[in-house]
Amino acid sequence: MTAAALPVERHGDSLWRRALRKFRRDRVGMLALLVVGSYAVIAAGVMLGWWATGWAEISGPKWAPVSAEHWLGTNIIGQDIFSRAIYSTRTAFEVGLVVAIGATLVGAVLGALAGFYSATWVDEIVIWLMGVLDSVPFILLVAAIAYSLQDSPWSMHIAMIVTFWIGTARLVRGEVIKLKGLEFVESAHAIGLNRLSIIFRHILPNTFHILLVQATISFVAAIKSEVILSFLGLGVKDGMSWGLMISESTFEVLAGYFNNFIAASVLMFGLVMAFNMFSDALQDALDPRTVKSP
Amino acid sequence: MTQPLLEVANLTVEFATDAGVIRAVDDVSFTVTAGETLALVGESGCGKTVTGLALMGLVPSPPGRVVSGSVRLQGKELTRLDEQALRDIRGSRMAMIFQEPMTALNPVFRIGSQMTDVIRRHQGLTRRQARQAAVEMLAKVGIPVPEKRIDEYPHQLSGGMRQRVMIAMALSCGPQLLIADEPTTALDVTTQAQVLELMTELQREFGMAMILITHDLGVVAQTCSQAIVMYSGRMVEQAPVQELFARARHPYTAGLLASIPRIRERQLQQLPVIEGMVPDPLHLPEGCRFAERCAKAKDYCLLAQPELKPIGKTASQVACYAPN
Amino acid sequence: MPRTEAQPLLQVSDLHKHFPVSQGWLRRRQALRAVNGVSLEIAAGETLGLVGESGCGKSTLGRAILQLQKPTSGEVRLAGQALQGLSARELKHARRNMQVIFQDPFASLSPRRTVAQIIREPLDVHRIGTAAERRARVEELLAVVGMRSNALNRYPHEFSGGQRQRIGIARALALEPDFIVADEPVSALDVSVQSQVLNLLGKLKAERGIAFLFISHDLAVIQHVSDQIAVMYLGRIVEQAPAMELYRSPQHPYTKALMSAIPVPDPARRISRIALQGEVPSPLNPPSGCAFRNRCPLATEVCARQVPELEIFSASDAGVHQVACHHPD
Repeated sequence: MTAAALPVERHGDSLWRRALRKFRRDRVGMLALLVVGSYAVIAAGVMLGWWATGWAEISGPKWAPVSAEHWLGTNIIGQDIFSRAIYSTRTAFEVGLVVAIGATLVGAVLGALAGFYSATWVDEIVIWLMGVLDSVPFILLVAAIAYSLQDSPWSMHIAMIVTFWIGTARLVRGEVIKLKGLEFVESAHAIGLNRLSIIFRHILPNTFHILLVQATISFVAAIKSEVILSFLGLGVKDGMSWGLMISESTFEVLAGYFNNFIAASVLMFGLVMAFNMFSDALQDALDPRTVKSP
Repeated sequence: MTQPLLEVANLTVEFATDAGVIRAVDDVSFTVTAGETLALVGESGCGKTVTGLALMGLVPSPPGRVVSGSVRLQGKELTRLDEQALRDIRGSRMAMIFQEPMTALNPVFRIGSQMTDVIRRHQGLTRRQARQAAVEMLAKVGIPVPEKRIDEYPHQLSGGMRQRVMIAMALSCGPQLLIADEPTTALDVTTQAQVLELMTELQREFGMAMILITHDLGVVAQTCSQAIVMYSGRMVEQAPVQELFARARHPYTAGLLASIPRIRERQLQQLPVIEGMVPDPLHLPEGCRFAERCAKAKDYCLLAQPELKPIGKTASQVACYAPN
Repeated sequence: MPRTEAQPLLQVSDLHKHFPVSQGWLRRRQALRAVNGVSLEIAAGETLGLVGESGCGKSTLGRAILQLQKPTSGEVRLAGQALQGLSARELKHARRNMQVIFQDPFASLSPRRTVAQIIREPLDVHRIGTAAERRARVEELLAVVGMRSNALNRYPHEFSGGQRQRIGIARALALEPDFIVADEPVSALDVSVQSQVLNLLGKLKAERGIAFLFISHDLAVIQHVSDQIAVMYLGRIVEQAPAMELYRSPQHPYTKALMSAIPVPDPARRISRIALQGEVPSPLNPPSGCAFRNRCPLATEVCARQVPELEIFSASDAGVHQVACHHPD
């Protein structure tokens, strides 16, 4: 053991608190968090009806230029691009959060079960499921789910959850296989704790660092996928999103009006970029090699 | 007097951690003469491994840093050499083996190719000559059917065999100094005995000096001629092994020797213990670092650190105000 | 079955634990016989030291006795109760009487729980006492293992190896078991800390009458803690005797070699090692007959044919001395 690996004594210092301390020192991570936070405030404001309420109204002439009234101009039918872009932030967050939480939960539970019961039928079923879902092209899967759900507004979310849990489950499964051989799990068996309690009280909490990072990754993937799916007409049904904006901007771009396209792309790029950097910083802060004692 | 093989003077190594700077090795000085076996003994965190790494120029940097001190091999200062020059010396004039041979051997290469790389690098032999030399070396470390084993992968060997391969690699260029960091700790006792015997034999045959880093005083007693006891980054005692075991001068050494469970004529109810724990490396005491665990500690022990001083006319040195 | 005085606390008879292993392309199923027919007894309040080199099956034996790994065959009785074939509830109840202490003080405590949560968990699981009683009990246990109560709300990673081992011991004591399997409890610790923990275990044995199965690779540690010692080699016990008896007159050539290989911390007594050839063979493919014969200086033709049974060699007040060898002294 090198001296560098010596534990640092602080009272009641949980691994989370250590990770937090480490994250706070990461300037890029903190900046990214600030950006993500600003987007979140914008999204929350939209949800509460504070701003961007007039996103669907036709408030000006077609293709109005940038002005005090229309900060980013108007689109092909005279709607305010700025309002639409802002409103879309809410959609992005809604899609991102629903998918991230759903995919992480499903991935955690199925991955943990598969890992704990590795090399049994439980594991085989989960692995089979992962293999099957992974082998269907994403777009086809969404189309199929959208069709089977009769154009439910949630079909896109469900399709993404159905696909995105797989990555999380794989990682969790591997980690659980590693953890279940550790002696604290055997100790839990030895004191007579039942299996489900062992999985959910002792093993899963030790994969939280993976889950948190995976959730941020799913969040970003969901926002990016939403854009593609909406562009293809498989995404957002009622409402507005950056994907729909980009989709409707195709005619405008041909006609030489880039405002709609740029507004949606830049906002999306900003959020995705910030979230990715946040995710990286989070991963560094939670890295068990540096957070845990030797 | 002839020049010693290795001279280490005032070596100090620090590590930067999240919570502050840790001085892992603090003002360590010693010499190794050709052919002798020196033990660096101590418990985990005492700085013995870092000392070994520092001699090889292998302290991971960052976070580690050799703050001061000099390491001279046959009069040549090593601490100021660049990486390239160091690499030429490592392997050819000094070599190191580690506790876990599996992590030191690359799992995707055959043993032969790893060995011949080292040999060719330092000796400029042809591929065929190098292979021949490798086979001879493997035979020397007691690997049965070396011409077959040389084409195996590390995972195909047992722990003892892997450590033998490591030794063969380390010795393949005939170094004058071998630094062995807990070479037998991961091995079973019967295998450990074999490997230790092998190392002693080869050492004699090659006329090589050895620094054996270990926590096991039994291994020290059985294989070494000189010993340095380290505690919390500092040397607390240096003595010929016979002397050390006959009369440990430092209270820490004495406590350590007493507390080892050993096979005795009668079972003891209680083992003698050293109470307490090693001080936190971030908050080291002003005075003697062992004072708070020392039964003989006096007020003045807490004031300033005792220097390592020779005892009378003996070959022993101790850092204690009231040595035994 | 009611327990009588003469009955030992733990009885293990002909215990086997085999692991299926598939090898190579053809996935030929093979059995790794980690524990291959072990019988032993431990009396209440006594310590049986189980010594052997890595891969000899000693840890698996401990886990199989505790039903942490289901034995392939054979019987384990604790205080007269057979442990195999119990329902989950019955087994949970039986676990109150048998606990375990592990080797690795860094892996044996859940990193995300506080010390108080860790020590209290057995009480929670078995619903022992009220919340206040449990809290008091946890503090008491912490004191028993020699730690201060300011440790309660801290996390395992804040402690040194020795302290973590004490926390693990406190957890094992929470249910007041009569029997504890200690699997290499001091091997990961530094010498000065090792003796502290050994003394603590000795105190628990003396004061609480706990019986231990003490597993270690270190014959010196084993000799210090044990009343009886069993030597294991490739899944079988090859010799068993009272501690001092084994030390004074080891019979099995493997025990002798093991004892002679220990580096004695005394430069005046250079070891005269009994040379053993090679290393422990793979338990997947042990030699026929006596598993030790390919390394044994005494091996003859009969050793290849016949597995030596563990037979009584001598008996004294301290216990019987058994050895499984065709050529004991």
